[in-house]
Amino acid sequence: MKFILNTGRSITQGRHVEHKFHRGYSEETSTCFIHPLDLLDLDMEEGEHVEVTSECGSVVLRTVNCEDLRRGMIFVPMGPFANHIIPSHTHSTGMPDFKSIPVELEYTDAERSTQWDLMEKIGGQRYEKM
Amino acid sequence: MKKCDVICPFCGCLCDDLEITVEDNRILGVDNGCTLANAKFMGKERLTSPIRRTDGGWEDINYDEAIRYTVDMLLDADRPLLYGWSGTHGEAQCIGVHMCELVGGIIDSTTSVCHGPSILAIQEVGHPGCTLGQVKNRADVVIYWGCNPLEAHPRHMSRYTTYADGYFLDNAFRDRTVVVVDVRETETARVADEFVRIKQGGDYAVLSALRAIVRGKGDMIPPSVAGVPRSQLERIVRMCKDAKFGAVFFGLGLTMTKGKYKNIRNAIELVDELSRHTKFTITPMRGHWNVYGSNEVFTWMTGYPYAIDFCRGIAFYNPGETSAIDILARKECDACMIIGSDPGAHFPRKCVEHLADIPTVVIDPVPTMTTAMANVQIPVAVSGIDAEGTAYRMDGVPFRVKKVIEPTLPSDTEVLGDMFARMKEAKGL
Repeated sequence: MKFILNTGRSITQGRHVEHKFHRGYSEETSTCFIHPLDLLDLDMEEGEHVEVTSECGSVVLRTVNCEDLRRGMIFVPMGPFANHIIPSHTHSTGMPDFKSIPVELEYTDAERSTQWDLMEKIGGQRYEKM
Repeated sequence: MKKCDVICPFCGCLCDDLEITVEDNRILGVDNGCTLANAKFMGKERLTSPIRRTDGGWEDINYDEAIRYTVDMLLDADRPLLYGWSGTHGEAQCIGVHMCELVGGIIDSTTSVCHGPSILAIQEVGHPGCTLGQVKNRADVVIYWGCNPLEAHPRHMSRYTTYADGYFLDNAFRDRTVVVVDVRETETARVADEFVRIKQGGDYAVLSALRAIVRGKGDMIPPSVAGVPRSQLERIVRMCKDAKFGAVFFGLGLTMTKGKYKNIRNAIELVDELSRHTKFTITPMRGHWNVYGSNEVFTWMTGYPYAIDFCRGIAFYNPGETSAIDILARKECDACMIIGSDPGAHFPRKCVEHLADIPTVVIDPVPTMTTAMANVQIPVAVSGIDAEGTAYRMDGVPFRVKKVIEPTLPSDTEVLGDMFARMKEAKGL
């Protein structure tokens, strides 16, 4: 099913800004908030995983019901998971479209990556001495 | 020992009434702070020594090696990018501009991924702003557009709007009307007097409709604009025109969405229209602590607020071309120094991938997602906790930020000052 991806601050994400190696940061930023009726249309239950695919890649997220959203929109707290699928073009303004990315959602039984897994996939090196 | 009137180094509110309990040079408690401030002050996971990436791991190195690596990296690069700057104080930003000019690089702050479009709009039509004190004491109508202060600036509403006393308002809580315009019904929307829910990407149309109604052309407006009934738009315009003092605050819901800086231009022009009837102001909700300061420092040193390119020997500014996202996405820079921000977490993947391909140095007190992409990370004291300097609040008011504990690590100013001195020496200056 097609959705619009919206990203932004959440209080839990904000609390972990300087503690990004914590599990809480990974948990929060890999959450896909979705309207309960949309979840029903996907034939899924809250807590199950979705593969979210945009024009530039896909990422696995955990679903959480959220009636704050209109149907057809998902919200993912800003972080490495959302940015894994956000295109970099800025329409000559310097600013990517962080709040309106067309995406496709599909049920998956795959596990979520951790924040460090994502970084390693693109050439990074995890730091886990803390 | 309790330290009073401490300024919070997290968001653009720069709340200046925190009380920090300190014993034996350790922070034991934070009073008056929001959950974000608590997490910032109480954080204990700082790096204690510079680190360097090895094959499959990390090793500790000393400051001399780390600084030498950074200096050599910047001097050897053809097109270095110096990015971040919002988490540090103005004095360090000053040195950053000098360093960038010396190596003919590009300097950009997190502005380009927050309120860069707001600055583009302000350059087109000006900025009818005011200080937060004016809003607190006078505003009887407050509009939050595309922002969620309860989660992003948790004390904004209690210090300046909804729950704040106002000198010129008899009963501020009752007399003040708060309107929230958003695509999501956030916590902030739920505590507002009026919630306007618009369809994603409909901001420009709704702002234009409001301007038309203010101008007396409401009969041109269709029954619904981007999901908002005309009757609600008319009610809001009446509310605004009847206000003695109105304040609009806007967030990334306007700057990051379709239309970008044209949305902000339209919002400023709505404020302009309303100011023909009453007094209205508009203020961007700056998110990252001293991001406003980076714009001030860059502007008075180079003439431009962000995304400044020195490759021609003079300052050149063209967001969309010289902004960090575009430079990284085009794989244009061949070295990167990042200070006081985390593009590893907040930039699109394609940009972060390039950081892994080029020499990258991170100057930051804690491990971040960008650490993973770095060759070297240099830990520093935290501005507002164990380092002091100047920072600007979201309304452009500068504050002298003091330290609450004695530093055990050098400050940004000391590290950058050392780098700059070595760079000048290498260049024979």
